[in-house]
Amino acid sequence: MHRVVLHCFIICLVSLIFLQTAQAHGGVVDEGDLCVIKVNYLRAHFKIYQPRVTGHEQFCEDLPVASESVFVMEYLHDSLSTMPIEFRIIRDVTGKGRFARLEDVENIDDIESATVFYQPPILEPDVYTVIHEFVEEGDFIGIVSARNLETGKVYAAVFPFEVGFTGWGYWPLFVGLLVLLQIQYLAMSGRLRRWFSKSSTTMAAVAICLLLLPPATFAADFVVTYSTPSGKPQINRMHSWILHIENESGAVVEGAIIDVTGGMPEHNHGLPTKPRITQELGGGDYKLEGMRFHMSGYWEIVVNITTETGKSTVIIALRI
Amino acid sequence: MKTVINAVAAVLAVAVISFMLWRTPPPAWTDAEITVLRSLWLESLSALPAAPGNAVADSPAAALFGQKLFFDTRMSANGSISCATCHQPERRFTDGLQKGQAIGTSKRNTPSIVGTAHSPWLYWDGRRDSQWSQALSPLEDSSEHATDRTRVVRLIAQDENYRATYESLFGALPELAKADEPAVNTVFANVGKSIAAFERTIMPTTSRFDRFVAAVADGDVEAQALLFTDDEKWGLRIFIGAGNCTQCHNGPLFTNNEFHNTGVISFSGEVPDKGRVVGIKQLLTNEFNCLGQYSDDANQQCAELIFARTGVELIGAFRTPSLRNLEHTAPFMHKGQIATIAAVLRHYNEAPDAMIGHNEAQPLGLSARELRQLEAFLKTLAAPVARLPAMIGGD
Ligand code: HEC
Ligand code: HEC
Repeated sequence: MHRVVLHCFIICLVSLIFLQTAQAHGGVVDEGDLCVIKVNYLRAHFKIYQPRVTGHEQFCEDLPVASESVFVMEYLHDSLSTMPIEFRIIRDVTGKGRFARLEDVENIDDIESATVFYQPPILEPDVYTVIHEFVEEGDFIGIVSARNLETGKVYAAVFPFEVGFTGWGYWPLFVGLLVLLQIQYLAMSGRLRRWFSKSSTTMAAVAICLLLLPPATFAADFVVTYSTPSGKPQINRMHSWILHIENESGAVVEGAIIDVTGGMPEHNHGLPTKPRITQELGGGDYKLEGMRFHMSGYWEIVVNITTETGKSTVIIALRI
Repeated sequence: MKTVINAVAAVLAVAVISFMLWRTPPPAWTDAEITVLRSLWLESLSALPAAPGNAVADSPAAALFGQKLFFDTRMSANGSISCATCHQPERRFTDGLQKGQAIGTSKRNTPSIVGTAHSPWLYWDGRRDSQWSQALSPLEDSSEHATDRTRVVRLIAQDENYRATYESLFGALPELAKADEPAVNTVFANVGKSIAAFERTIMPTTSRFDRFVAAVADGDVEAQALLFTDDEKWGLRIFIGAGNCTQCHNGPLFTNNEFHNTGVISFSGEVPDKGRVVGIKQLLTNEFNCLGQYSDDANQQCAELIFARTGVELIGAFRTPSLRNLEHTAPFMHKGQIATIAAVLRHYNEAPDAMIGHNEAQPLGLSARELRQLEAFLKTLAAPVARLPAMIGGD
């Protein structure tokens, strides 16, 4: 148990180090599974592909060879989808390599002549993609800027990277060293032992961990049943349902506001349609239109019910 | 000495058992499997869904008119392109190319038209919601027919036969010189409705797989053995079982006509295609959609359009294509990215992370042999090309 907590602690430390470097200059950060670009406070999942050479393999910053490269930003922050985004790649003329920052780029006199790729500001509501074919290997700097249309404010991120990348350099070493130093310090100061010897602290940590788990969404205070015109839900057919809602004591629930979503949790996707309640039929019955299932398998229909007495969510599980 | 004999016997036994396993005929179909097989059977294809947006959808005269228009090269900027340039009947209405090729190059792979009357959505990204509204787009697409609606209307007005047929179907043509925009659009839409009446008649034909299911339904074991090899049976079992293929490729047309991201690699020199997430937006603003004024649906039911899903989940999602007649629809996928069936199956076996959005398919971990069996099964869906129904007894 202690060991698990110790690991958690170390991971926290390491990510703190990373977060700090990230905040210092808007840029690209490798967060383990996820590579994230921070354009000031705006975040996006960032990945680069060289589909002709390495297929579906993702890169975070450095690229193996000079080749067709596709840069992808999947927004983690909605407002990026409403901001025109500009993308520029320049040869590294700052002489700072990996440590180049926004200020360094701003100080370049003739940015145009260093530019190898430029995509003028464009609104991309869903996902941002650009493609550039590198003709030579070397050090480059990517500059992404997004303009808030309301305030006119421009946010920028700068990420130095290498094309024809040969190794990790001294970065992992540096981080590893930091982590080691930190542990060493904690162990020497006896703090680690003191910390973990208090089992109450461990319990508290476990409790916090448990609290962080997603809360259960199942509520038993409403009973929802459904019926469909043909007896059971059909595949690939638009059809409607009648939802019947009763409370715990069996009384019908009228005048509820109902919102329906759902999907296939095992496949990580939602319903193919956006169904909604079109009519309250009385007696606790509600007409739900626009239902369609496009795959066989396990489905969950999530019924969110709001009444004067409160809110509740009921999940209808079904196999089709 | 004894140990040597023992060892040899053991090796032999293993060899014999594995050979037997190798040759094992697949077990008999369970009732649940037979239900799935029947659901894929061409005989189970439901009656054509009504097309309330197209008043002439089921008119044979309109279908015949539509067929002529489909092959008419005059409806193009250079007088040499017709729908059949890319949708070639002898190739199951595709062209064998990665991307459609006419005045210019299309943005995507040319899909088959067969059976599309059953789909609520047209195009890889479903940016049209009826066959008739779809038929209008290639005419004005600068890389396809590159003509425009006014020129199309003029052609109908100037060709005596077309004019007579048109007027018998839709009433008098407006006078071109005085025609306002809605009047021109109405004639243009009617051209699409006639082409759709023709396309509605293009349906798949019986394949060896369908005859096999008939034999299964009849419990005719002998016929089953004649129709399918053991490999094909194993392949079919993987298709409806471990391969998860029927999650999307289901029903007699082997498609749910819905949108899924399957992580296909981008086309050379292009950013990954965003697919449905953009297609649905285009559909909602298309003047010829189900809710538009040119639709004949008086009730404007349009459930598909009204309840259509939008949002990030549709990034990189494309409409599931039919798997009937794969022998004619290669190269595969929305931009013809994958050349062979074997390569498609390798792709599904790995199910790599999608470049944009999320790949909904899971890695399968099938062996090379299982992949070959799956391929053998897919090939049993080959069938002769249907005769053009409108021509039967036609002019
Ligand atoms: C340049 C070649 C070309 C020509 C000419 C052409 N098409 Fe297409 N067709 C395509 C391509 C490519 C697509 C897929 C485009 C997409 O999904 O974005 C397509 C899609 C379709 C579809 C949708 C099929 C499906 O499964 O979604 C239909 C139906 C269709 N075309 C009919 C026609 C008709 C009718 C004409 C003549 C008016 C025509 N096409 C002319 C290339 C062509
Ligand atoms: C999650 C849904 C889904 C599953 C599961 C799935 N497919 Fe597909 N399939 C699709 C979609 C969507 C496309 C088109 C993708 C594209 O063009 O990007 C497709 C394309 C294909 C094609 C190319 C057809 C053509 O004409 O271009 C073949 C062949 C195919 N699938 C076979 C299979 C097989 C075999 C399986 C099972 C191993 C399978 N699929 C599982 C959704 C699915």
